[in-house]
Amino acid sequence: MLWACVLLPHLALDGVLRRRPSSDAPLALVTGSAQARTIFAANAPARAAGLRAGQRLSAAQALLSQFETIEHDPEAVKRWHRFLAAWAYRYSSEVTLFPHAIVLEVSRSLGLFGPWPRFERLLRDDLVSLGFRHRVTLAPTAHAAYVLAGMHDGLAVTTPETLQRALGAVSIAHARLPPKAAASLPMMGIRQLGQLLSLPRASLQRRFGSELLDYLDRLTGDAPELMEGYRPPDTLDLRMEWTHEIEQVEALMFPLRRLTGDLAAYLAGRDGGVQRFVLELEHRAGAPTRVNVGLLAAERDGALLFECARGRLERLELPQPVVAMRLMARELPPFVPAGRDLFDTRPANAMPLEQLRERLRARLGERAIHRLRRTIDPRPEHAQTTAEDMRLPPVVTSLPRPTWLLGTPIPLRGQVTVLAGPERMETGWWDGGDLRRDYYVVRTAQGQRAWVFCPPGEPGQWMLHGWFA
Amino acid sequence: MNTYAELHCLSNFSFQRGASSARELFDRAKACGYSALAITDECSLAGIVRAHEAARDTEIQLIVGAEFQLDDGPKLVLLCENLAGYSALCALITRGRRAAEKGRYRVSRHDLADGLPGTLALWIPAAEPDREHGAWLRSLFGDRLWLAVELHCGPDDAQRLRTLETLAASLGIAMVAAGDVHMHVRRRRALQDVLTAIRHHLTMAEAGAVLFKNGERHLRTRDALAAIYPAALMEESVRIAGRCHFSLTELRYRYPAELVPAGHTPATWLRHLTEKGIRWRWPSGAPAKALAQIEHELGLIAALGYESYFLTVQDIVRFARDENILCQGRGSAANSAVCYVLGVTEVDPDRINLLVERFISIERNEPPDIDVDFEHERREEVIQYIYRKYGRDRAALAATVISYRGKSAVRDVARTLGLPTDQIDMLSKVLAWWDGEEPLDGPLRERGFDPASPVLQRVLKLTAELLDAPRHLSQHVGGFVISDQPLSQLVPVENAAMPDRTIIQWDKDDLDALGLLKVDCLALGMLTCVRKCLDLLRQHRGKDLTPDTIPKEDPDTYAMIQRADTIGVFQIESRAQMAMLPRLLPKNFYDLVIEVAIVRPGPIQGDMVHPYLRRRRGEEGVDYPSEKLKPVFERTLGVPLFQEQVMKLAIVAADYTPGEADQLRRAMAAWKRHGGMEKHRERITQGMLKNGYTAEFAARLFEQIKGFGSYGFPESHAASFAGIVYASSWLKCHEPAAFTCALLNAQPMGFYGPSQIVQDAQRHGVTVRPVDVRYSEWDNTLEADASGSLMLRLGLRQVRGFREDVAHRLSGARQHGAFSDMADLCARAGLDSHHQEALAEAGALRGLAGHRHRARWAIAGVEPQLPLFGHASPKEQAIVLPPPSQAEDTLADYARVGLSLGPHPMQQIRARLRAARCVDSRALRDRPHASQVRTAGLVTQRQRPQTASGVTFITLEDEYGPINIVVWSQVAERQRRVFLEARLMGVDGQWEQVDGVSHLIAHRLIDMSELLGPLDSRSRDFH
Repeated sequence: MLWACVLLPHLALDGVLRRRPSSDAPLALVTGSAQARTIFAANAPARAAGLRAGQRLSAAQALLSQFETIEHDPEAVKRWHRFLAAWAYRYSSEVTLFPHAIVLEVSRSLGLFGPWPRFERLLRDDLVSLGFRHRVTLAPTAHAAYVLAGMHDGLAVTTPETLQRALGAVSIAHARLPPKAAASLPMMGIRQLGQLLSLPRASLQRRFGSELLDYLDRLTGDAPELMEGYRPPDTLDLRMEWTHEIEQVEALMFPLRRLTGDLAAYLAGRDGGVQRFVLELEHRAGAPTRVNVGLLAAERDGALLFECARGRLERLELPQPVVAMRLMARELPPFVPAGRDLFDTRPANAMPLEQLRERLRARLGERAIHRLRRTIDPRPEHAQTTAEDMRLPPVVTSLPRPTWLLGTPIPLRGQVTVLAGPERMETGWWDGGDLRRDYYVVRTAQGQRAWVFCPPGEPGQWMLHGWFA
Repeated sequence: MNTYAELHCLSNFSFQRGASSARELFDRAKACGYSALAITDECSLAGIVRAHEAARDTEIQLIVGAEFQLDDGPKLVLLCENLAGYSALCALITRGRRAAEKGRYRVSRHDLADGLPGTLALWIPAAEPDREHGAWLRSLFGDRLWLAVELHCGPDDAQRLRTLETLAASLGIAMVAAGDVHMHVRRRRALQDVLTAIRHHLTMAEAGAVLFKNGERHLRTRDALAAIYPAALMEESVRIAGRCHFSLTELRYRYPAELVPAGHTPATWLRHLTEKGIRWRWPSGAPAKALAQIEHELGLIAALGYESYFLTVQDIVRFARDENILCQGRGSAANSAVCYVLGVTEVDPDRINLLVERFISIERNEPPDIDVDFEHERREEVIQYIYRKYGRDRAALAATVISYRGKSAVRDVARTLGLPTDQIDMLSKVLAWWDGEEPLDGPLRERGFDPASPVLQRVLKLTAELLDAPRHLSQHVGGFVISDQPLSQLVPVENAAMPDRTIIQWDKDDLDALGLLKVDCLALGMLTCVRKCLDLLRQHRGKDLTPDTIPKEDPDTYAMIQRADTIGVFQIESRAQMAMLPRLLPKNFYDLVIEVAIVRPGPIQGDMVHPYLRRRRGEEGVDYPSEKLKPVFERTLGVPLFQEQVMKLAIVAADYTPGEADQLRRAMAAWKRHGGMEKHRERITQGMLKNGYTAEFAARLFEQIKGFGSYGFPESHAASFAGIVYASSWLKCHEPAAFTCALLNAQPMGFYGPSQIVQDAQRHGVTVRPVDVRYSEWDNTLEADASGSLMLRLGLRQVRGFREDVAHRLSGARQHGAFSDMADLCARAGLDSHHQEALAEAGALRGLAGHRHRARWAIAGVEPQLPLFGHASPKEQAIVLPPPSQAEDTLADYARVGLSLGPHPMQQIRARLRAARCVDSRALRDRPHASQVRTAGLVTQRQRPQTASGVTFITLEDEYGPINIVVWSQVAERQRRVFLEARLMGVDGQWEQVDGVSHLIAHRLIDMSELLGPLDSRSRDFH
């Protein structure tokens, strides 16, 4: 066996930088809790100013007054890691993820892509065009390739004899040993793997347990390497691009039908359904336009999927011409055909609220249908919201509040009878929206109960703010 | 006319609830024409003394009270009708506070079972009143109960009033109007909201549910109240206020009586002890001057009735002496000859001019303050003695009110306004020392803020309002209040953060205001060092010395001091002090008193230093304003240095009485904040004109006094400290090994770390031996070499991460026989892997295992032993390990022991430093003044004194000793990174050498840290 290791020393930073135009402005990825913000990685201009990984953000700010900070996203790093694994999968069916690295078995692929220097060139060319800095090595064991990549770039070791020599010269610090041994051995004067490999096994066993010996055996090839191989994901990501620019939504229908058709075929192959997928319309520049397509239940019928997506697309105003379309489906739940109760008494055209809501949303747009929620803000103008993800405040006090709160208060004319009040409200200063009002519950001449207010201590000039049921 | 008394009002001592100070509340109450104002902080009387003072100044009646939310019952307010009620309230608060963790309280129905006679109760019904609460309170308080009607423009106040009227009528409870006041005026609303949000750990945007809906909870005008409340309810408030005639001035406080034996009064017993002390201090007879002073003081003490206070302090000091704990009074008490003969202070009235009025005076009508320093490691014994002797109900620590400072205020405000943490950090830096007034636009812009943005405007305005507001109570460093009666009748007692510590709810100023006496039991590291050193001399030299019997005025000691060879010595070891020593050249004890006092912000800012030095060197004539003032200024060559001199000046030149002179001193200290110097200007000018001084001279003198301000140093205090300076200097000079050993055993303290201390000892010829499991104890110890001279053996306490109990176990096991090998050591000393590693890392195993690599290999192979199988380990194949390099050993030394006895790290890289044209510190000393040089060294200290505008003193160290660097702010700013981060710093600069004081003025800093590798050298940074 022969293993190629692709080491990705700047995975997190490259994942961010490859999406941006190149720039000399200092930039740092930042991580850690709000109390202990630290630098996760810094680009070259930032490093030149003294920023380092692990540094406190406050310390970094003391060194460099202006630099861009981006929140480090471990999930994004994982995504790029898997993305590159998927790339490597093109070259080998045995691909393994190592920390900051990808290792692939190449002996069986050498016939196709080889010989090695050519194969290596292919890998490097791909990585350069993808925008990931890297090192590549070749060795008879995966772990050896991984270890050697930490010290060399371009080293190719193919025989056990050269491997032994190459490993012998590796310093303990670079040998990726189990942490305890890695920390202890240099302190005992053992600096190179060669030294370590010549020590009595019993003494090592006693000090560092079998973990170290097992690792050394895997490294040298004395024991088989058991690794969990990479498998392509259970999600679907389809993309179509075309050579001309599409400016009309109608013209997108053809590719859309293709993609939804492919999706349906894929779902059928898995015997699954899809409840939610994303269409991305890519432009020459700028962020793609995202269109979320949600269904009431898991579906897999091609025509239905197309119809749902079309409903969404048709309302779209294209900000720019489209050059590619991408369909991504992550949630692929099992498909259960809807059964109907024999004694279903619902009238033929009636539909449950949820379905009505879905249909209205499909027709009128995602933002056309809201659910009103209470907020915690004491000011009536801010007392309700249509935001989806608001934390619901605890139900408090039995204050008289109208069922229908007007968005904007309007003057109320005519005679009224005060039923309760004044309820003085002085609050909201913290965002510049301070208000000072006396609220009253009044009865109008028509007998309606209204919620009205006036400036403190000056009843008479009523502003209507809501109606009680 | 509508009259009103507010019976339910919180001050800002209801932390994070009340938004106004007592002073603001009383000013407002007066402006509104209230008949009385109750301060009813939540389960607390911490703010009541301030309220008392505000009430006195505004002449508005204060009603003492407190608010409680019962665990299992209603919310109520208790008001004190009379002294009995006050005691009951104190007892209730104490019970509630002691039953809960610090900062909280728990009061339940059964705590009120005795009905608290002497109090009046207001029931504060909830939004949905619980009838049962009212019935229970009615049964408890009878007709001492009122239902408080508190209307704040809620949704339907009329309905609320009707509900409460019905309820009160059916229960037979009278009603009264009250305000639930949280602030003095409506415009405090924003701050009150912020406090509420802080209390709930919410941002303003999240706090809607817990905020008050409006700003009605302020002291409303009587007209506004009359529009809300029926007249009868307002009149009732005044009637209740009329019943509450208790005042804090009624509190009678007695010092413990049990120290006086039968047949004596406190006065006769104090006289007895004083006379005994006179014979002890002056075995061959006391000088007449001292005797006269003592009689004068006893007269003052008797007139003020302070005998028991002196007896209490004497008893604490006697305990310490009996236990062989070094102690010494500091501060103004050293002005007292009585304190000297009682053994409380060490300043011989024969050697220093005492001015007892600096300590106690009739005019001041405030209790004297006696501060006593104890060995810092043994102060706890003294504290436990006090608790034991008087019981926890009669002795407690004073509180310290922690107030909002720029940093803490802006943090809390900015957090509630939802600013992100990064920005809060930056803001808190900008506002660290903000006084609420100075403009901040520049510093804010510098950090990328827009000072004009509304958010920042809000932050700054609220921060300014929050500044100086109390935040929480903490314990005073050592101020004890001891009382004859249980303290809880006098003031509530609560738990402190430290377990087994209780504090009263009043701070030092409160105690002063009410005339309560306190004893400050402070901790001083140097006393620990001196005592340990004297113990070592007794053990190894057979010398039995005490601080008193250390030979006085020793020329060798002064020669050492004049060389500024004072690392480790008390006080005069700082950079600034060391720079002064070669100029002042102290040659006797009084010179040390001046040395201690002169390197202070006061004399430096008042420009006293240079005139004094010039006169001392004879470069300038010594003159006095008048012949009469000569005795006052003679000892400081005509330059005023001490507070006592300013007081004497006022007495001699402007006919002040001593007591009035002390008032002048206090006005001096406070005028920058409170003003109040004008009457003294008048008085001094008039007095001096009358005594024949010119008006111009009087004016000049007055300005000088003002400049002297709060920073002037009391001579008595300087003299107390000078005693310790001398004792420590003598020990360093004559017994360097013992002194170093004691100093290391008293760490952490002082300016220097163990590494600097040990290197200094080595430079003075002391042999220092490394930590070694074969010889080391927990403490550093002395060993005699063949010739009998003492050497220092480093102890296990120098090993980072080594625990004391393990060290004792190790040395105990060693007494049963030397350790044969690693396994034997680990088994018999019961070492866990952490301690095994610590020993290997520290190089302490060299006698058992060999060099560090072998030691680490060996301990890694030590297996946990089962007792059954004995100590035998399976024989191992021998292996060869390369020894660590010198650099690696040094690295490990610094990492684990913090110092190295091997070659100095700088010596190891000297060749490379030489290549970089760096001069070492020895060669530097031979360079002429004003030459341009480059040098380099480990950064051991960064110090930025407040007085030295923008200058930072950096101390570098190389193999030959320290190098003093002066870094001006523009260099520091330009090279901020090197300045802050370099561990090995190179400096290009100009070498200055004047009057035996030398330093390098930095022009350019160079970070050479990479030459060190990962060496763990640590700088001590002082700001």
